[in-house]
Amino acid sequence: MITTLIRRAIQAGFVVIAMTLIVFIGVNVIGNPVDILINPDLNQAERLRVIENLGLDQSLWRQYLSFLHGLTQGSFGDSFVYGRPALDVILERLPATLELALCAMVIAIVVGLPLGLYAGLYPDRVSSKLIMTGSILGFSLPTFWVGLMFILVFAVQLGWLPSNGRGDTAEFLGARWSFLTGDGLSHLLLPALNLALFKTSLILRLTRAGVQEVVMQDFVKFARAKGLRENRIILVHILKNLMIPVVTIIGLEFGSLIAFSVVTESIFGWPGMGKLIIDSINLLDRPVIVAYLMMMVVLFVSLNFIIDICYTLLDPRVRLDGKG
Amino acid sequence: MDRHHETGKKTLIHLTKRNLLKSSALALIAAATATPALAQDAHLSIGMAAPITSLDPHEDSNSPNNATSRHIWDSLINRGGSAENQPQLATEWEIVDDTHWRFHLREGVTFHDGNDFDAEDVVASLIRARDKESQAFASYTRNIAKVTAEDPLTVLVETSVPDPMILNSLSRIRIISSDYADAEVSEFENGPAAVGTGPFKLVSYTPGDRIELERNDDYFAGPADWDEVTLRLVPDEGGRLASLLAGDLDLIEALPSEGVARVEQSDTLKVIRGQSTRIVYLGMDVSRDESPFITAKDGSPLDENPFKDARVRKALLMAMNREAIVDRVMQENGSVAHQFVAEGFFGHSDNVEEVAYDPEGAKALLEEAGYPDGFALTIHGPSGRYVNDSEVVQAAGQMLTRIGIDTTVEVMPWSVYSGNYSTGEYSLFLGSWGVNTGEVSNPSVAIVAGRDADTGMGRYNGGGIDVPEINELLTEATSTLEEEAREPLLQDVSDLIFNNTWLLPMHYENVVMGAKSGIEFTPRGDKYTLAYEVHGTVE
Repeated sequence: MITTLIRRAIQAGFVVIAMTLIVFIGVNVIGNPVDILINPDLNQAERLRVIENLGLDQSLWRQYLSFLHGLTQGSFGDSFVYGRPALDVILERLPATLELALCAMVIAIVVGLPLGLYAGLYPDRVSSKLIMTGSILGFSLPTFWVGLMFILVFAVQLGWLPSNGRGDTAEFLGARWSFLTGDGLSHLLLPALNLALFKTSLILRLTRAGVQEVVMQDFVKFARAKGLRENRIILVHILKNLMIPVVTIIGLEFGSLIAFSVVTESIFGWPGMGKLIIDSINLLDRPVIVAYLMMMVVLFVSLNFIIDICYTLLDPRVRLDGKG
Repeated sequence: MDRHHETGKKTLIHLTKRNLLKSSALALIAAATATPALAQDAHLSIGMAAPITSLDPHEDSNSPNNATSRHIWDSLINRGGSAENQPQLATEWEIVDDTHWRFHLREGVTFHDGNDFDAEDVVASLIRARDKESQAFASYTRNIAKVTAEDPLTVLVETSVPDPMILNSLSRIRIISSDYADAEVSEFENGPAAVGTGPFKLVSYTPGDRIELERNDDYFAGPADWDEVTLRLVPDEGGRLASLLAGDLDLIEALPSEGVARVEQSDTLKVIRGQSTRIVYLGMDVSRDESPFITAKDGSPLDENPFKDARVRKALLMAMNREAIVDRVMQENGSVAHQFVAEGFFGHSDNVEEVAYDPEGAKALLEEAGYPDGFALTIHGPSGRYVNDSEVVQAAGQMLTRIGIDTTVEVMPWSVYSGNYSTGEYSLFLGSWGVNTGEVSNPSVAIVAGRDADTGMGRYNGGGIDVPEINELLTEATSTLEEEAREPLLQDVSDLIFNNTWLLPMHYENVVMGAKSGIEFTPRGDKYTLAYEVHGTVE
């Protein structure tokens, strides 16, 4: 376990370094931050002063080295746009993204898993067929369109829920969260549902496929023959055996919810990290882009590690240290 | 006593989206039973179209930042809606000599934290803005050599050269409390340093989401109409429109053109229009003998650059059906431009010929200039930077093709485009300039003056225009202090630029806003939405 952890950490380190290199070169290829960031009214001397202050007068590899040097001091550099440490800029948006992602994932699991189980156990019922048809809609309708429809129906026409923004927040663990206030929750609901729709369908279909496969296997028949209660058969024997692919998908999708819910965040004006990264790319705010992507690499590596641990809990045959 | 008590008969209910139905039901009941509803605190929610980058008023100079900072802080000079200079923290001023201005400060003004405002605050603010590493306000502060407090209510500003624009510059710089002269950006963002003398006090700021403000009851010019103001940052067009329709926002900036009809039809909403000082133009490469994106129709190089011929340039302008662009492409979100500034602004000239749409005349002019069969070119433009920018470029391309100039259209993201168009990479390109001083010297110096790295003239002169006569007039105008002497110089500049078609003026972007019907607001030339200038009621 420990060796695996160390091995994973080293792997992650390499990925992070490769990623910083790619971002540095990539941002440089897109355009020159100087042209975008500097006020057009400045004269030559003033421009040079700003360029020097941003460190953009150095050659690219020198900028990269000083960035690495900053990293060893625990600094990602100051954002070109916000004039504050890049990490602060990102972290103050983290709670918003995190609660949105968590909320969407919980909805997806709570709805998707039971419905998938049901549709898998009783595939011939009309209700199961309805569920499956619904799930096709769920993952084929584009997110931005569904989001706009939600706003149109629930906010503009019916006026039940707010259309936009994050609402009131309350402080908890040093950060501000929406889900602790009624107003915040009402703001959270639509974007979370919007994000959850696709994930729900995915989990639902995956679960159903798993159930149909597992149900046919000998140990289920044997359990039935042994006279076990149906609930126990479903919840222990079937569910546990179909969970491995489902857990993998949940983990990866959770990562992508945190990192890439740009569209939903934009439509609902949710002040999370997805909006930040798109703005930063448009403004070529390199320190924020680098810091953000580094965080995401670490996030995905850790998520994968957690998924692996879940495997060992679900299936005793899986070993983390093993070669298989 | 607040304004609504004074007006007496108007009753205010703050509408949120959630209780939209409920409140309309309530309103019905209230009307039916004639029970007076409870007067609540007046709350205004404004949807801003572009996010702010910082609450530190000296860190970054862009419209959303400067508009937001004007809620909390004042300047020495107040910039009116047509860029006129009015007293604010300075009540009067005098020119001592060419390089010295004396300002008399307003008495009895206090900061939101209770401290008195005096000359030291002015000194600290001007110097802070000038010396900040980000250099965001350098174009306003570069001529400020020294600021001295002569007594608590008198400030002497010494400029390094005679600077006719100093009042305009000072209207840009917010006066912070000298206690926070050394404060970091983050101290403004989370509160302690964000105390000004302005009409509103900061309650909270959530980056990327909102700024909450409350009324400063002691504001020297009288308290605002609104007890509380929320500035929501909603850059997404659809989201902004939906929030207005749902009643979450009372006033939104940059109403998307597809929403105009819907808002106009609504009984409870209205469209507010006004002209901005942002001009959109087409620039032409007039300096190179062989321009990179102009060829004969068969792709072979031309003998010379056709844009060097004034007749060809005028033909291009005659080919542009600018009325149609403004009506159809811009959906009336713009008005046709003939020169840098509209009538009423400083330096506008009545002698500029207004060129009308005339494709036949354009063809004739091309023939006269030696291009009876036209030629081929590529027009470049940004996408997503200005209102309907890529559509305007496409329309212009089609109109040129109609007079026999085969035109290829190429649009690209701003991050790619911005570095190229200003340095003269293209032959024909879309450009735009927010004339934030409201007078002609500002765009002329940037776009038309011959490029000179030392003086900073002509930095955005992507066409390589270099007319000695214009350069001399501009040099003279930018060092003449008396407005009466300066205006004719700038009018001459306007004549020279546009009667020789050195640029193709397209349109001014209009300010188009959506609002609840009870809201009264006159859009400003600089597009700032200032809650202090918003009046009326929100039902």
